[in-house]
Amino acid sequence: MFYRLSGVHHASYMSDSRLYKIPADRNLALFFLALGLAAPFLFGSLYLNSYVLPWLVWTAAALGLNMVTGWAGQLHLGYAAVMAVGAYSAVHAAKFGVPWEFALLIGGISASVIGSLFAFAALRVKGLYLALTTLAMQFVMDWVLTHSPTISGGSHASLQAPTFALLGQKITSDTGLYYVAFGWCLLVTIFMLNLRRTGLGRALVAVREKDYAAAVLGVNSFYYKFVAFATSSFIGGVSGAILVATFFFLAAPEQFSVAVSIQALAMIIVGGLGSIIGTYFGVALILLMPSIVNGIVAGGASTLGLKLNVESLAHIPNAVYGALIIIILMIEPLGLGKLYGNIRDYLILWPFDQLKK
Amino acid sequence: MQSIGRPLFLALLAAGLMSVPAEAADPEPFRIGVCYDLSKAYTFATPQVSQAALDLADLVNLKGGIDGAPVKVIVRDHGNEPQRGVECYEQLKREGVFVFDTLSTPVSMAILPRAMKDQRILMQSLVGRGDAVDGTVFKWVYPVGPTYWGQAANDIAYIKQLHDGNLSGVKVGFVYFDYPFGQEPIEILKTLSEKEGFELILYPVPLPGNDQAGVWSKVRRDKPDHIISWMLAGAHVVAAKEMKRNGIPIEKYISVNWLNEVDIANIGAEAAKGIKRGTNVVGGQNVALYKEIMAEIYDKGKGNGPVEKTRDVLYNTGLAMYSIVFEAARKAVAIHGHPITAESYKAGLEKIENYDASGLMAPITVTADDHGGGGRTRIEMWDGKTWVPQTDWLASYQNIVWQVVKASSSRFKGN
Repeated sequence: MFYRLSGVHHASYMSDSRLYKIPADRNLALFFLALGLAAPFLFGSLYLNSYVLPWLVWTAAALGLNMVTGWAGQLHLGYAAVMAVGAYSAVHAAKFGVPWEFALLIGGISASVIGSLFAFAALRVKGLYLALTTLAMQFVMDWVLTHSPTISGGSHASLQAPTFALLGQKITSDTGLYYVAFGWCLLVTIFMLNLRRTGLGRALVAVREKDYAAAVLGVNSFYYKFVAFATSSFIGGVSGAILVATFFFLAAPEQFSVAVSIQALAMIIVGGLGSIIGTYFGVALILLMPSIVNGIVAGGASTLGLKLNVESLAHIPNAVYGALIIIILMIEPLGLGKLYGNIRDYLILWPFDQLKK
Repeated sequence: MQSIGRPLFLALLAAGLMSVPAEAADPEPFRIGVCYDLSKAYTFATPQVSQAALDLADLVNLKGGIDGAPVKVIVRDHGNEPQRGVECYEQLKREGVFVFDTLSTPVSMAILPRAMKDQRILMQSLVGRGDAVDGTVFKWVYPVGPTYWGQAANDIAYIKQLHDGNLSGVKVGFVYFDYPFGQEPIEILKTLSEKEGFELILYPVPLPGNDQAGVWSKVRRDKPDHIISWMLAGAHVVAAKEMKRNGIPIEKYISVNWLNEVDIANIGAEAAKGIKRGTNVVGGQNVALYKEIMAEIYDKGKGNGPVEKTRDVLYNTGLAMYSIVFEAARKAVAIHGHPITAESYKAGLEKIENYDASGLMAPITVTADDHGGGGRTRIEMWDGKTWVPQTDWLASYQNIVWQVVKASSSRFKGN
């Protein structure tokens, strides 16, 4: 009824490899694209600048992580370190006088190089051992940042980013910065959407499911894991640079600490491994929910006239937030993306769901 | 007092009740945005400091506010996440708040570029980048109180006093958290060691400071005469335990200002006898402002938290920080009248001269150039019951400290 078809039936390979299998999905994507473009006119600058913008940049970053963890199946616990490499190299390049377009590229490439350097060492091991090796990368990066004032920007370890500019045009307005984040997130999303229907994407999935089996089929699993690490590091590096350029305006080690790595992993696990729309949901939940719940609890307490002590007001939202994650994963272990998928699949057939798919 | 106090109180109460419909006639409330980490890394200090802020605001309001304008402290949690700190700042900024405090270095760092651009006041006593005391570069940032550099220099001045002005041949150990917070004083200590001729030995402690066994056995071998410690919370307790194990007297230990009664209790009030800390506020409860708050607020059961939490030197630190905040508001009204704006508040801050909140803290004088207020600290010793001052308020080696400040702030200006 909502989707005007009853199940998805392909009659040709072409139809199977379309980007959107059903028109409703495409329309929804177009609707969100339009919403994203119109956002500066729809939302107040507070929401645009401190909710939507970081949400989009983090979504781009998390999509990169999802590529290596969700698609290629390689657990990565050092993603924030990769983002840090990108951010610091881009800012240093920009300070050196390199235009920001190239600075971002330099950030992406250096993150890619360092990320895949570790991948060489890491890919000789699997599973939890790989996770620990990537975690080591995180700690190495933390150590380098706190012990080399030249990189981290002096004894306070804060590196001021030059004003962001594209094509020689300085971008300082909320709207301008928002479009930069939106543009980057859109690029990464389009890349990830298309990844699913390319040989590379299928090879990554094959490696994820069973790398021996993939090797038997002629898929060089080491090569594809390596490609996954390099590409996701590139995305992470550029996202880290954009995060600093459009949101923080300076780079500090705490912005890329081990806690942030865990958060990034939580984003894609709660969102759903290998799910693009799920990544959007997951990032929203992990990144924005704490302060939203905070606001709700504070507002609720004041309307009910409860005089709570400031500490309880800070801890109740944390408990609610934790419970929310557990409840979501109990309802649907495959994450928010799958939850959305279930609703969609149900509605495709509704109200004729007694007729089998 | 009793006979005047009661009618006055009733009059104020009546005024308060009537003020609801007649709000337009009253001056705008003076609000301060307190974006604190109440749930993660800074919880060893934030509950006491925010309680102090709320109590002090209540006291100011009881006395008629700031020339009639009530004060309002808005406390929000940001969980020490820069992203949430920015959000707190952006939200309160839109609600018209122009004075902010974060008490968290990462969040302070994240807000600083925005505050500078938006021309809002960022108070960052004891946290954030120390070179922000340079008012010529950081026009909107006020780290009123000592920088870690100044504090370390004053510690050395104290040691120099102990050795009758001659530090040659003296060994000073520096035990610090091996990340920017702990590394900050190294530069100044190295400069001073060259100037004064004492031997500086560095002992980095890996975070979170639970394991210091290796560090303290090295200290035992080197036998430094004094140990300056730049650590936080539980790490002091671990250090005290390791010192005992290695037979190093606790009297040698001079802590950064972040050592409080909770740590003392964990070390053991008796065992901690002789431990020292650098500070810019008077510790203990024998303070005029503290007694006033007890009499006016806690004795009437109106405290903003448990009374036990006020018996903590970090509560006094909070009182000191917010006494300055409200004093600047008073000065701003005195100069430019109501309503207080970011500009007039800035002018008010820079009019603060020799202000010590009736003996609560080191006297400070904020100027357009020196946003730190002079950077005076002193050394206090725990005598088993309370804190006993060991020196006067010191601001030593100011030219060396300012050299470091200028070198660092000029790098920021370079952008």
